[in-house]
Amino acid sequence: MTATTRAKTNYLVTVLGGLFSLLAGMLITLRNLFRRPVTEQYPKSKPALSKNFRSAIALVRFEETQTHDCVACMQCVQICPSFCIAIEGDKPEGLKRKRATEFHVDYALCSVCGLCIDVCPTNTLKYSRVYDQVAYRRDAFVYDLLTEFRDAEVAYLEKARQEAAAKEAAKQAAAAARANKDTAPAAANASKELEND
Amino acid sequence: MFNQLFGNIWLVTLASGAVIMGFLTVNALFLVWLERKLSARFQRRLGPTEVGFAGTLQTLADAVKLLGKQLITPRNADKPLYHLAPVIVFMPVVVGVSLFPIDRQLMFVDLNVGLVLVFAFAGIGFIGIFMAGWGSNNKYALLGAMRAVAQNIAYEIPLILSALSVTLLARSMKLSAIVEAQSTLPYLLFQPLGAAIYLIGAVAETNRAPFDIPEAESELVAGFHSEYSGMRFAVFFLAEYSNMAIVSMVATTLFLGGYHGPWLPGYVWFFIKVYGLISLMMWFRWTFPRLRFDQLMSFAWTVLVPLSLANLMGTAVVLKVFRR
Repeated sequence: MTATTRAKTNYLVTVLGGLFSLLAGMLITLRNLFRRPVTEQYPKSKPALSKNFRSAIALVRFEETQTHDCVACMQCVQICPSFCIAIEGDKPEGLKRKRATEFHVDYALCSVCGLCIDVCPTNTLKYSRVYDQVAYRRDAFVYDLLTEFRDAEVAYLEKARQEAAAKEAAKQAAAAARANKDTAPAAANASKELEND
Repeated sequence: MFNQLFGNIWLVTLASGAVIMGFLTVNALFLVWLERKLSARFQRRLGPTEVGFAGTLQTLADAVKLLGKQLITPRNADKPLYHLAPVIVFMPVVVGVSLFPIDRQLMFVDLNVGLVLVFAFAGIGFIGIFMAGWGSNNKYALLGAMRAVAQNIAYEIPLILSALSVTLLARSMKLSAIVEAQSTLPYLLFQPLGAAIYLIGAVAETNRAPFDIPEAESELVAGFHSEYSGMRFAVFFLAEYSNMAIVSMVATTLFLGGYHGPWLPGYVWFFIKVYGLISLMMWFRWTFPRLRFDQLMSFAWTVLVPLSLANLMGTAVVLKVFRR
């Protein structure tokens, strides 16, 4: 085989290969023509968020109490590197445990590091899944996390107070019973002695 | 048909012109929408969805926007050339459309040199393109226009040569006669090479990807129409999409049997074939990368021209030997 004929066959191979690659490319675009578009029509359809999606912190609503369990221990306030949490707490009347009365998070400052969630002793903090907050002023990003718990909190406190009162009553009753028990054997002995006599 | 209807040649011309202008405008609006929609789907996007059903009125809204835009003329432009160029680019297209047999009884003008006239008027458009590039007094526009003219001369030759081999088969340059000769089988089956050459040449003639070098955005802004704004730009756009329709109509007439086809009426077949070819060209555009200019020119002069010449010679020899 001379050099020129080899060059010619190579030329033919190049041409046919090029033609094939053109057809292959057209097949790829054709296949994509009939696939579903991946466009997300954002305001009309919301994206599916990842399981690990992090956003501004929120309070957990527990099943049994239907409210949060923030005891205003201030650990999250202390650990927060962005100083974006502000909490006030107080002992409600008739209860011995502290409850949060104010819980503000400035999401404009929050870096979503999650330290507050890790440090929370009652596990009442979680990541929320909001992502499209918009405002004209920065202070609009200061969220009051307790607003959605106001009614539940009142009910919970009422119940807790009743429980506490019931507990107190039971305790007193038990104490009274114990006091009776202390005197009862003596009385029984006394009655026995009376019988023996 | 129109001659019998009106009798008056001026009235007929006026009416035909109005009908063709209307058709071309609607055609361009539809094709821009189709192009945007197809390109989106090729890239798994949605394309226009908001205006009208599936965005069909989007291009109409764009046209209204373009009508309202300010017409800017560059200070150092060559005013007569600059102003005349869009008209020169667009008018041949109107004439071109009037030459095609849309149905057995439906064509505006039936000339016995119809094929020659189609290519002749297509050639006038390039003068307009060069006028636009030169008159703009802008180096990018001039470079784009130079490329456009060089490219169009290079690709016009294989285009006409492949069309010539069809006229040898049909023994006529009358477009209606060429279509009638294909009543049993389309010439695509006798002239596959000619059809392929014609298709490549047609894509190059319309300055579309992969041969869109005159408008290469990354190098030349928008090519020869860089300096045009508003409605003048819209006319160039209109001419571009109308040219797509014309080269597809030529291909339909020469190779796909025009209005011939089973079951459906002739004009439906004609438009199915035309828009099918246009869709194919859009498919090319959204698949292939742009050629380099030297690749483009060497492909035309060293591959397409010899091939089409060989095809013409082969056709002539075969016809001389085997026909009756």
